[in-house]
Amino acid sequence: MKVVPSRLSEWVRPVTLQQPACAIIEIERVSQVFQTSARKDHLALSDISLTIDEGAFVSILGPSGCGKSTLLYIVGGFVNPSSGAAKMKGQAITGPGPDRGPVFQEFALFPWKTVLGNVMYGPRQQGVRTNEAEAQSRALIEMVGLKGYENFYPKELSGGMKQRVALARTLAYHPEVLLMDEPFGALDAHTRTRLQNDLLNIWERDRKTVLFVTHSVDEAVFLSDKVVMMSKSPGRIRQVIDIDLPRPRRRNELLLDPRYQKYVVDIERMFDESDEAGSPS
Amino acid sequence: MISSTTMAKRAAPALACIGLLAVWQVASLVLKSDSFPTAIEAIRAIPDILGDRESLINILASLRRMAIGFSIAVLVSMPLGLLMGRSRAVAAFFNPLLMVIYPVPKAALMPIIMLWLGVGDITKTLVIFLGVSLPVIYHSFEGAKAVEEKMLWSGAAMGLSPLQRLVRIVLPAALPEILTGCRTGLVLALITMITSEMIARQSGAGNILFNALDMGQYDTVYAMIIIVGAMGICLDAVFERVRARLVRWSEPQFDLPLSFS
Amino acid sequence: MMSRFLSTNILLGVAPIVLVIALWQGLVSFGVAPAVLLPPPGLVFGRLVQQLETWTFQQEIAATVVRLFAGFAIAVVLGVSIGIAAAASPAMNALVRPIVRVLAPLPKVALYPALLLLLGFGHGSKITLVTADALFPILLSTYYGASTVEQKLIWSAMAAGTPRYEILFKVVLPAAMPAILTGCRIGLVISCIVVFLAEMITSTDGLGHALVTAARTFQAVDMFVPLITISLLGLILNALLGAVRSYLLRGFPEA
Repeated sequence: MKVVPSRLSEWVRPVTLQQPACAIIEIERVSQVFQTSARKDHLALSDISLTIDEGAFVSILGPSGCGKSTLLYIVGGFVNPSSGAAKMKGQAITGPGPDRGPVFQEFALFPWKTVLGNVMYGPRQQGVRTNEAEAQSRALIEMVGLKGYENFYPKELSGGMKQRVALARTLAYHPEVLLMDEPFGALDAHTRTRLQNDLLNIWERDRKTVLFVTHSVDEAVFLSDKVVMMSKSPGRIRQVIDIDLPRPRRRNELLLDPRYQKYVVDIERMFDESDEAGSPS
Repeated sequence: MISSTTMAKRAAPALACIGLLAVWQVASLVLKSDSFPTAIEAIRAIPDILGDRESLINILASLRRMAIGFSIAVLVSMPLGLLMGRSRAVAAFFNPLLMVIYPVPKAALMPIIMLWLGVGDITKTLVIFLGVSLPVIYHSFEGAKAVEEKMLWSGAAMGLSPLQRLVRIVLPAALPEILTGCRTGLVLALITMITSEMIARQSGAGNILFNALDMGQYDTVYAMIIIVGAMGICLDAVFERVRARLVRWSEPQFDLPLSFS
Repeated sequence: MMSRFLSTNILLGVAPIVLVIALWQGLVSFGVAPAVLLPPPGLVFGRLVQQLETWTFQQEIAATVVRLFAGFAIAVVLGVSIGIAAAASPAMNALVRPIVRVLAPLPKVALYPALLLLLGFGHGSKITLVTADALFPILLSTYYGASTVEQKLIWSAMAAGTPRYEILFKVVLPAAMPAILTGCRIGLVISCIVVFLAEMITSTDGLGHALVTAARTFQAVDMFVPLITISLLGLILNALLGAVRSYLLRGFPEA
């Protein structure tokens, strides 16, 4: 898929790079307890602290049930932590807001709206006039490679196309942080690879902050600047690994790169060790 | 030990009953109309009706017809619905006919059937049978249609004949949905019974209601309404118990009964 | 292939209706049932066409349709708003749930004598009865649809800057639409049935009244005509609602 770079800058606010490595999201001692039954509590997240720099691509990697999605929902403001706090640019997060745009594994497109209607929803909600919102949205749909599908309903699209629409819908209201919750988890391997490449293309041009939840080691290493490894019961941060690989990354080059291979093998080994050493539950 | 929230949940319908009666009491006190007795007056009239031998026999006869009509309807409609759900041809054969019959009020057939079969038990039971049949057919049909194909393949691989598959796989798999249909059918049986008695005006609970209305015994009218309402609520509650027991394995059912005339 | 399959289905579907009419004709022709009790189908349908042209019969239909629509419309408005409110607010839920549990299995037609006493013998009592009967299926489906709306649809809208109170109209209502329309479909058929029954029990006009009048004078032909009319009315309204449904749900899968 071709991405039109000149267009891209219109959708994405340029990130000010005067202060490199300036924290945009701070997670401070967050714990999350869910009540599973009448008298049993489940500690989903235990004392998580994490800082995410502006413009960084950070993956949260871990087995299912480690609370990685919950952590993302807390940053999104969809879930309130049981204790601790998440902050966006120094302000405590109290609810969802257009500065943090989610992209879900389930796409979560509005089935009663067309592709164009879905993408226009955010700008219209922000008070952008209809004509303007439509023009912007059409350009965004073209950018994600769906020109010609503006008047289709989500049910008429394949999974990969739906996720492209979902990404366009979120980009349309110019969030400063993208919150991606296993966005490619429901897609087949081939579509998944293509969308990873396209996401990297989009990201490498505007360097929007991305918080990316996944359980795939390859995906995390391929995309991220930083991988946050989590372990489960209770959900904890195990280790934070900086991925020091050159950008722009090209898949065919990277797969042959020994440094990439080492990252993948090392991370996988660490998970294996923790499984063996882990508690019997 | 039962926690206080479950206690509150169990007591809620009873509280709702008391609340509704209280609203009635207040409304009637405010309106002060002869034709709108208070809830307490109406409740006081209940023992008179149930104590009266003739009314009691009437009501019990109504209930017997209802039970017979309901049972026959389930026995006939359930296999038909299951067959429709598993065979496209059977479904295509019966669906349009059922669609035409669906909006016809079954109790409205009363005068015509009376013309043919007289005003005896057969007529009244037949009308109840007709009223119950459709929802049971419909739900059995939907239930059987939703049975997973692979379950039947497994059954066929184990050497079950088509009939065995229908009885041993489709029937239990569709049971939650069938019982939902039966629950609707049960309330419908009661409704059809009352309505047909109101129309035919020969005997039964519906007749007592309208006789009292004609004679201006308003307490009795409202007392009968309470009795019929209580019958509906009790039948539904008892059936719900049975249903929950039979299909313990299935997902908890959400729906409350959909009752209509 | 597909069209052949469809036409076989239509043939199969028409067959039982034709069979019923043939059996009906047969019963009369072979003298099993006397024509006084079971008039031949030709006579009944002829009478139906003849009646449809008369002013008085049109008046009866109009009276029935007015009650039906008024009762149904009130039931839709009440059912959808109470259903959504119960799904959205825990307090409303705690209030509505037990009341619905008690009132839903109650045979509403038993309330009819009370409605007659309170609201008189005119439109009021019949419309109220139709509303009372059609309300619950609509309310319950709305509640079901609204309380099973995909959480992430709501989150997506909130992240795009939708205020909480607008979520109800912009996400919950459209997302619950398939369930609401299923409830409306059941409610509509119920409305047809109930309005007819109410008119049969006591009325001075309407299709149900026409049937009772015919029954009193043993006019078998005239007894069939209102029954067939209400069935046709039900089918037409059902088809109309089906059209509305496929338009409103054009984006939804399996609609």
